[in-house]
Amino acid sequence: MKMFLPPILLLTILLTFSLVNCSLITRQTDRWSEQLAAADACADAGDWPRAAQALEDSYRSWSSRQTYLHIVVKHEEVDGAEALYRRAAAIVQEQALSEFRAEIADLRNQLRLLAEMERVSIGNIL
Amino acid sequence: MATAFFRTVILYFLIMSGLRLMGKRQIGDLEPSDLVLTMMVSDLATVPMQDFGIPLLSGVIPILTLLALSMLLSQLSLKSLRFRALLCGTPAVLIDRGQLRQDVMRENRFTVDELLEELRIQGYCDLGAVKYAILENSGQLSILPWPREQPAAAKRLHQVVPDDTVLPYVLINDGRVLDRNLSACGKSRSWLEQELSALGYLSPKEVFLMTYEEQGGIQCLRKESAT
Repeated sequence: MKMFLPPILLLTILLTFSLVNCSLITRQTDRWSEQLAAADACADAGDWPRAAQALEDSYRSWSSRQTYLHIVVKHEEVDGAEALYRRAAAIVQEQALSEFRAEIADLRNQLRLLAEMERVSIGNIL
Repeated sequence: MATAFFRTVILYFLIMSGLRLMGKRQIGDLEPSDLVLTMMVSDLATVPMQDFGIPLLSGVIPILTLLALSMLLSQLSLKSLRFRALLCGTPAVLIDRGQLRQDVMRENRFTVDELLEELRIQGYCDLGAVKYAILENSGQLSILPWPREQPAAAKRLHQVVPDDTVLPYVLINDGRVLDRNLSACGKSRSWLEQELSALGYLSPKEVFLMTYEEQGGIQCLRKESAT
């Protein structure tokens, strides 16, 4: 039985890492998305300083996870979300409500896709 | 990452089953599990190597998964003969006591032309010279000729021959003395220097190759640059 241990252990480690990674990315993207939803609500209510603050909080948290994201997710997808964050930051300064809301919707969708790519599902596997 | 893990597991078993169904001729020198591992690992390694936009982990996780699966399957095949037969197949006897087994040839998709070619490669032009021909799991054909066709060996001729098979030790390789081999044959540096001076060499650096045989024979080749 001892000889089965190394391969089973290795497979278990790989599977555990994959599942933990999936859960981690889902949790993180959900949190960033909630912050963006708050920014959207503030902008809709005309409270632009709070909208800018919520967007900045989300971006700061996103930036702190850049290394990890580049290790586990395709760089193209991460760079796409980064570009959307930067565009949203520029629009929030101009206080253009419709553009800002459209940009936040795109950004939330991009974050949802990041989590979806890592999710264990029949659709993804097949 | 989880998608890569599960996809690797599925594709590994899929390709393995495909190779088993394709028959032994498609395999070459490797067993199915080794071939799948070699094929897939080499392909997986090149993707993150060439595309910098893909995380290294997307190559590393499938490679480690394949290695673990391969280790697991080889351990299982060591434990169970039935599993080994399922994984690698069993050797197929194409010629049994001189009789060509057409049903076995059909099962293994082995044509007469391929059989004759294999026989010719191994030095048998006549089908009647072969008692057994076995298609191994690796795809190679093992041939056992009838006793009358086998090369004459001392044992077959009931001859007693002296044991003069010797293992030569390399003592000097391109001017370098191999101390490990020197001590393995129970000789010292001073003995080597004496032998070299008796052969007309001033230093080991003048020697390209020097071997010592168990029965005491010495072969020495001078280095061309030293002449």
